[in-house]
Amino acid sequence: MRTLGVLLRKELLATFGSPIGYTVAAVFLLVLGYTFSLTLFATKVANLVYIFHQMYVLTILLVPALTMRAFAEERRNDTLELLLTAPVGEVWIVLAKFLAVFALVLGMYLGALVYAFILEAHGVPDWGPIASGYLAIVCHAALIVSIGLLMSSLTENQVVAAALTLGAALMLWFADSVSYLLPPPFDVLALNLSLIGHFRPMVTGSVFVSDICYFVSLALLALFLATRRLVER
Amino acid sequence: MSKRYGSTVALASLDLEINRGEVFGLLGPNGSGKTTFIRLLAGYLLPTAGRLEICGCDAVEQSLQARRRIGYVPEAAPVYGYMRVREFLAFMARLRGMTGRAVADAVDRVIAALALQAVADRPTRTLSRGFRQRTAIAQALVHDPELLILDEPANGLDPRQIIEVRDLIRGLAGRHTVLMSSHVLGEVAKTADRVGVLLDGQLKGVRAMADTPDLEAWFLSLA
Repeated sequence: MRTLGVLLRKELLATFGSPIGYTVAAVFLLVLGYTFSLTLFATKVANLVYIFHQMYVLTILLVPALTMRAFAEERRNDTLELLLTAPVGEVWIVLAKFLAVFALVLGMYLGALVYAFILEAHGVPDWGPIASGYLAIVCHAALIVSIGLLMSSLTENQVVAAALTLGAALMLWFADSVSYLLPPPFDVLALNLSLIGHFRPMVTGSVFVSDICYFVSLALLALFLATRRLVER
Repeated sequence: MSKRYGSTVALASLDLEINRGEVFGLLGPNGSGKTTFIRLLAGYLLPTAGRLEICGCDAVEQSLQARRRIGYVPEAAPVYGYMRVREFLAFMARLRGMTGRAVADAVDRVIAALALQAVADRPTRTLSRGFRQRTAIAQALVHDPELLILDEPANGLDPRQIIEVRDLIRGLAGRHTVLMSSHVLGEVAKTADRVGVLLDGQLKGVRAMADTPDLEAWFLSLA
């Protein structure tokens, strides 16, 4: 755990010391504020379901920009050699990178919490779906960050890493659309792989353990594969 | 030990023992397998076949224990550009398991040993090539390792800096075992106690420098 602390401190320094993190956070909050205002004036309904869907899309579009550097830049600058020849388990390196980017994304989401309080100040929002929506978006972020780290571990080109992350996330998003074209049992498999299929119930207030397990298990699988990639160099 | 990349043989049945406290120079042209050998020793790569032991630890089975005993300077002398020199050295010390006051003491010790006082609080991205190389060597020495591995330590340095690094390496002999690679005969001749010649992934010969008055002639006879 001490090693994780040392590595996490270094990763936080890299993440919060880079303009990319602040740029992504600014774009995220700007687009979200714009959407929130438009939706509120158009619908005059005190809920955040639309905002959570917006956050879902923005996470898929913006997180690759945060994760693309994780391993790709270390590989390009040869600093990965320093990390991998230090007496440190590869799993701690991956976990530290995950926690640093995840912390930044959670910071962005915390900023978006202001919209819930605006609703509270001017209306009577149902806090249940807001809480489950936050749970959904946090699970979603954990998965996209994990996929981003896996893709970054595969290449030294940051643009390629970002493109692979975006591609993987989009394929998961639209997996349910493909299910209609597939014979059994592959149709069920594709349906169950769908990102939006597990996100939508939670964001509308229905929290199922199966949905949480989907996000957690896929995130762990991606982190495990990223670790294996480092172990095999 | 051997190392293959698919069907390409990078190192073929290399059999070598490096003595405690000596400076061993690994000599060979570019592409001869020096960096592969060094990366295997540093634990960055795993051998395809054979056994590699570092200070009594199996480099594969006891990888973490082996890595604790080495300090490694890759050819590119990588540093984290967003850290200051002192910060970078402290990070590397903590990564090697040092804690508390020992970190600050070790950092002060290597800053003094490598004459980095003037740049200690500067971001590493602003360093000249010479200071960057010294910082990279300092991070490898910060935990006082038994084995120091240097991949082409004189690369990119000006003549004055080359002399400084050479003196530094010679000064480490005895207290540390040093393995350095180079493709420059003169550098190895002036720095190493023993020299091994690596050609096309094969160790062609090993000799004490004291027994090799004409390194160039010996090298050419092997090549």
